[in-house]
Amino acid sequence: MLRIGLIVVTVALIVVSAALFLGRLLAIWAVMKTARPLNRTDRLGERIKSVVEHVVLHRRMFRITLSGTLHYFIFSGFVILLIDIVETVGEVFFPGFTVGRILAPLVDIWVILVAVGIVLALYNRIILKPKRFEGSDEKDAYLILGLIGAIIVGIVIHDSFFPFVAPQVFHVADPVARAHFLGFAVSRLWVALGWTGPTAASIGYALGYLIDIGVVFAFLAYLPYSKHFHIFLAVPNIFIRNLNPQGELVPEPIDETMAIRNFHDFNWKDIADLYTCTECGRCQAVCPAYAAGQPLSPKMVILKLRDALNERMAENTLDDPNTASLAGGVISPEELWACTTCGACQEACPVFIEHVPKIAGLRAALLEDGVIDPNAQKVLVSWDRQGNSFGQPARKRPAWAKNIDIAIKDARREPVDWLWFVGDFASWDPRVQRLTEQIAHLLERSGIDFGILYESEVNAGNEALRLGEYGLFEALAQKNIKALEAAQYRRIFTTDPHSLNALKNEYGKFGFHAEVRHYTEAFLEWIDEGRIAVKSVPIRATYHDPCYLGRWNGIVKAPRTLLQRLGVQLVEMPRHGAQSFCCGAGGGRIWMDETGMTDRPANQRIREALALGDVPFFVVACPKDVSMFSASVTAMGVENQIRVVDMADLLAGAVGLKTADEAILALASMATVSP
Amino acid sequence: MKITVLMKDVPDLVEDLELEAGQLLVDDISFVVSEWDDQALEEALLIKDEAGADVTIVAVDTGDVDTMLYTALAKGADRAVKIVGDFTRRLTNRTRAAILAEYCKSESPDLILTGVQAIDDIDGQIAGLLAGYLDIPHASVVREVHTMDAQLHFIQEYSGGRMAEFTAASPVLLGIQAARKPPRYVTVAKVRQLQKSATLDEVQVVLPSTPGLTVRRLYKPEAAGHAEMWGDDADTVAEHIVRVLGEKKLLRS
Ligand code: SF4
Ligand code: SF4
Repeated sequence: MLRIGLIVVTVALIVVSAALFLGRLLAIWAVMKTARPLNRTDRLGERIKSVVEHVVLHRRMFRITLSGTLHYFIFSGFVILLIDIVETVGEVFFPGFTVGRILAPLVDIWVILVAVGIVLALYNRIILKPKRFEGSDEKDAYLILGLIGAIIVGIVIHDSFFPFVAPQVFHVADPVARAHFLGFAVSRLWVALGWTGPTAASIGYALGYLIDIGVVFAFLAYLPYSKHFHIFLAVPNIFIRNLNPQGELVPEPIDETMAIRNFHDFNWKDIADLYTCTECGRCQAVCPAYAAGQPLSPKMVILKLRDALNERMAENTLDDPNTASLAGGVISPEELWACTTCGACQEACPVFIEHVPKIAGLRAALLEDGVIDPNAQKVLVSWDRQGNSFGQPARKRPAWAKNIDIAIKDARREPVDWLWFVGDFASWDPRVQRLTEQIAHLLERSGIDFGILYESEVNAGNEALRLGEYGLFEALAQKNIKALEAAQYRRIFTTDPHSLNALKNEYGKFGFHAEVRHYTEAFLEWIDEGRIAVKSVPIRATYHDPCYLGRWNGIVKAPRTLLQRLGVQLVEMPRHGAQSFCCGAGGGRIWMDETGMTDRPANQRIREALALGDVPFFVVACPKDVSMFSASVTAMGVENQIRVVDMADLLAGAVGLKTADEAILALASMATVSP
Repeated sequence: MKITVLMKDVPDLVEDLELEAGQLLVDDISFVVSEWDDQALEEALLIKDEAGADVTIVAVDTGDVDTMLYTALAKGADRAVKIVGDFTRRLTNRTRAAILAEYCKSESPDLILTGVQAIDDIDGQIAGLLAGYLDIPHASVVREVHTMDAQLHFIQEYSGGRMAEFTAASPVLLGIQAARKPPRYVTVAKVRQLQKSATLDEVQVVLPSTPGLTVRRLYKPEAAGHAEMWGDDADTVAEHIVRVLGEKKLLRS
């Protein structure tokens, strides 16, 4: 009777929950099929490796120790749960079935670990309350924790009654009774209470069975409607992650438009992303726009899109032209334009959700409708007309070179070893021009054979693309590529990480491939080759990783090794390397209105450096950073505590250039020439 | 409502203009849409968005006006007309107005909009000249154009911040000072797409003979008086300001 009853209930549960689960899955699959194509099933080996790294080893998860640990307990519990399900369903369907004495106790060990995980999760959510959970569906989180708790309780209950049910009702032996040590311990209680007879044990067993298996299947049916769908989608989503260069926003040339207005405009990975989000808020916690009090949270972008998709699926309005546009309707223009495209969100996301391409695509739709900050619009027009963001005549691009008495080679006319792609800010911003001249002096002093493209260089287009202006990006890229192809050089270097990113990662789709270096890499190479002799500049300094250098291009070691060669004592800020915090300038933000910002990211970053205590130098390696952080230091009135210096300043001092900053020169002159 | 917007391109003053032997090197100049014409286009598109209208953009082909016309189409204009004939970049406004009059007579639009002025208006503004040729009502330095019950409502600005509200029956020709909103952005891709898919209507007009002016000399204004330098001491500067305001009787005691 008991067996038959449980079998019937189990079969019913399997059928109903599988139907619900599959129904939902197919509905989502149908949306994915109408989405834009994308190749994410190549490079199998690499994909498997990344799944091992991020699922089995929880690489990103462990960046927050407590959350990583508690998640590991619960996550591994799900794997062990499979043993329990097989065992429990097996012993009912096929009397005498057992998983053996080795696997059985694993279940009990993990019951304890999962219980610890649940307690830690509750501690995290109730006592610590990290801000990153703001906006997440907390009720869902508690419900799921409750369900998981119920499952482990159920496991212990049915295991504790099975030693009595097995011989008396199922008429089989229970060889693993003691191996389920938790269940066995509890069974002693039933012995004491005298609940060991066939009826009492059957009731107890059935209860435990239903709590365990019943909740498991209820869970299965509920999952695809909750954030815990990530239990199923996290692994595939990590598998289909982007393995191309991270800095490449658009993998292939675009014929039509990159604008995203409805769900068919997303690619299929974007749709998978929406359902994989765990609402953990790690992206929100690292977002500079969110930290600055802007209306943007990368987590909420994903959740709002997911909710809108769910609603449209339920109401069958996916193709209804009357639904609000995703760009400007579901996600507001203010949210979209607040993004600096720093990529911190993507770097933090444990399930490899890609926020930036979505934001850029949504921006493209706003742009097509003419919704853009007026200043940014001016810059777009300047890029189109003059090829630079300063609205200056193209002919004046190399004007800075006239301020110095170095004859800079014209790479369009004569072959050079290194082609220097100067970039807009380095060419025109008065604060940065000084550094550009310094670099020219350094190159000449070191006998580097270099040249520039003069007025044939135009803005690299990195920001145009990130503002959603693909056509303009392409036009700029084609102009540069034409000039670069006509020039003769061996390698390219640039001081500007944004140009570096475009040249290195975005021009490939137009068939342009060249070796592109950041100046920190190039100078390190020249020093190590003995072409540049440097004195030590013995200062204590911290180093700010520019987003487009450190995070998007993984260039974090070269600048640090360079600092080492210069004898700088590096003190790291808490957020550094790929986890660096954006200055707030990227993605076109530098030209946009800052009203509504409560705390500028650059100011927050300077405070982070000040909190290190007694670190008087803030080293940067990006022209935009020079502008952003110098402005912050002045605005905050902390000039006497910290000074923003560019790597070029340090190099000039270390080499002993006459034009170098006097203070740095003085420091360097006290030191000896390093070997 | 049939709206015609007259547009022209003018030298881009971001770039330095170059002279050779007292002559402007026209071939080296890059041209951009005249900013007031761009405002006129935006106002026309806003009227279209608000009340519906058929917007035609017209430009005299004095060189490469195609991009300007395609851009206007990309922004939402319905039709673009290029008036072709034996025209050069040195076309005077008087001639230009005569050419445009030829076209407008055949089309009889309800409303003609154009920029109130352009940086190369040497012999008067297009709006007034053309209205004369067409013999229709005209107002310049206009903004806030709305259509209501087949009538046009608009505001004309006068010096000293005065304004007047007008109502007029079509046809009317208005010289636009500024659109209600800054001219909209149009993406490069959209312009390129229209360059592929749209066609410009070409209308042949014979170069009319009009009386014209000859520029004898261009020179900088001669200084009549000199600026008074007040230094950078805040108190002194403040005193000077108060004194000057007092002298001009702009202060109430
Ligand atoms: S890219 Fe940076 S600014 Fe944009 S949403 Fe992500 S973290 Fe925020
Ligand atoms: S997008 Fe990623 S990091 Fe952000 S809440 Fe979702 S899972 Fe967490």
